[in-house]
Amino acid sequence: MASVARPVPAKDVEIRQRPNIASADVQLPAVRDYEQVDREITATLSPTGAWYLGLAVAVFFLLTGIAAWMYQIQQGLGVAGYNPPVMWGVYIITFVFWIGIGHAGTLISAILYLFRAGFRTTIYRCAEAMTVFAVMTAGLFPILHLGRPWKFFWLVPYPNWRWLWPQFKSPLVWDVFAILTYLTVSTTFLYLGLVPDIAVLRDRETNPIRRRIYAVLSLGWRNTDREWRHFARMYLFLAAFSTPLVLSVHSVVSFDFSMSLVPGWHTTIFPPYFVAGAIFSGLGMVFTIIIPIRKWFGLKHYVTLNHLDAAAKLCLFTSLVVGSAYMTEWFMAWYSALQVEQDFFWNRLFGQWWWSSAILYTCNMVLPLSLFSQRLRRNTTWLFILSIFINIGMWFERFVIVVPSLSHEFNPWQWTSYAPTWVDYAILAGSFGWFSMWFLLFIKQFPVIAIAEVKEIVAPRLRTEHEHGIDVAGLHVDYERETPGEKE
Amino acid sequence: MRGVIAHYRELDALVEGIETFRNANLGEVTVYSPTPRHEIEHAVHAPPSGVRRFTLIGGLLGATFGFWIAIWVSRYWPLVVGGKPVSSWVPYTIFGFEVMVLVGALATVFGMFIHSRIPRLTHAVGYDPRFSSGDFGLWVACDPDKAAEVEQIMHRTGAVEVRRER
Repeated sequence: MASVARPVPAKDVEIRQRPNIASADVQLPAVRDYEQVDREITATLSPTGAWYLGLAVAVFFLLTGIAAWMYQIQQGLGVAGYNPPVMWGVYIITFVFWIGIGHAGTLISAILYLFRAGFRTTIYRCAEAMTVFAVMTAGLFPILHLGRPWKFFWLVPYPNWRWLWPQFKSPLVWDVFAILTYLTVSTTFLYLGLVPDIAVLRDRETNPIRRRIYAVLSLGWRNTDREWRHFARMYLFLAAFSTPLVLSVHSVVSFDFSMSLVPGWHTTIFPPYFVAGAIFSGLGMVFTIIIPIRKWFGLKHYVTLNHLDAAAKLCLFTSLVVGSAYMTEWFMAWYSALQVEQDFFWNRLFGQWWWSSAILYTCNMVLPLSLFSQRLRRNTTWLFILSIFINIGMWFERFVIVVPSLSHEFNPWQWTSYAPTWVDYAILAGSFGWFSMWFLLFIKQFPVIAIAEVKEIVAPRLRTEHEHGIDVAGLHVDYERETPGEKE
Repeated sequence: MRGVIAHYRELDALVEGIETFRNANLGEVTVYSPTPRHEIEHAVHAPPSGVRRFTLIGGLLGATFGFWIAIWVSRYWPLVVGGKPVSSWVPYTIFGFEVMVLVGALATVFGMFIHSRIPRLTHAVGYDPRFSSGDFGLWVACDPDKAAEVEQIMHRTGAVEVRRER
């Protein structure tokens, strides 16, 4: 549901269309009517050669990861590079990484919806799909991390013959419920948001089999006023549930660390620090995904530079929050006057793990400062490159949280090192293959831009000038593929 | 179901049609629109959605269940550590919250299904695929003896296509 249904008065048109304005304006001047929206967005569903190639590469990486996992099951967890006491490694790092990626999707689809931020309209579908597939990916890693992965369901409270129940005071049990709830609610949110769009596909489809499938998936949606009224209310409540949910999920993930006494983990800053980092990393991944899509699918006049500019500002803000959390950690280590904490941070910054910290701070604190420049916020090439750095930086953030703490605990005789093995790397690559495969399949079956919501911000056809001052002719410019101000 | 269906190309024409039929009281009106518009919502004068009740009840049930199962389990198999309470509400709040969100969200969806009368696997009388694309539709359920009057109003308010359904 788009946040703003009423077009701005015609007098603002000149201001809106001036090139290079940093604005979260929701108007789409190059989109003229509802039919154009249907035509252009449904046209993106036709598979292309590049799409098949991308899918093949994704499946290749996935198969590589599956092969490595099978090897690990056969040989045991020892092949994964664990080195006591470093018994959490790439799997837990990557689990937190993917959970974090998912958070920006919910931020864009739910939190920005409640805040009436119009720029979310054209990017939220991609972000929401990204959330679902990222959480699906993340959910695999605790299972991969188990020595006996087939026992994973023991964490679920179900009546069994010995009446054994999980320990509800354990953060690991909280994790299971937080992630399952998050996956269920995100998937519901994505699917129900898709229903009106699937109805559009159903009504345009000529292939009888596909039409039948779309008819079932659309739940018989008919666009009646009754359906829209209850749908809008449901959407609002789901957004209201998702907002605290997304904050709770990464807080719960951070409890896995902060409930322990390990230096660097036992800190109250972790929940907000994790949530901000999650949203930051997710925004990075949104850019990684949306920039090629808008280019390759010819959707630059839907996902305009104004939208990217606004999202980049959000990215900059979360980078500053994360940066201040890093600095607070340093300060607290100094201010606590605990030798073990101070030694640990010295080792993290200047000792054994200096290189990973350097990658982390460069990618997450230094490079995003470039987004203070309006020119760079509107430069899609730079945004894409920066998003890759942010993805790398956020993976290393979790590396820096997990590995240096475990390798440098209280007693010097425990101090050790850690190096991932080829199995870790193969499973990490497999996770990207798994995520990409689902995403690629999604974008060719369902619209990547919410059709019904885009129609909300496109001015409707009117017989006469509207009493609110809506003048269709005055709001629109001649149709052109490039949005005014587009420079790439 | 009997009635008359009209296609409108313009939103303001549709709104005029809705308001005319609401005042004329010729039959129950259903509006088809490719996207939700506040103008239609105002013209229809529909009561507030009842989905919120499902949300409230679902959320309360979920939170109750979440706290209950955690407390019941801890009392069924007590692990007394350092004299601390067996059932400690602080960690159970996390579990209670997650289950509240889960059940509340699913109940909201269920409420929307009930109120919107979906899933519906049969074709609705009068529905046209153009209503999901660019056209607006107005269905007035009425007896055949009133159909002529309904058609006349539809034409007068700007309908581009009018047909009777039976």
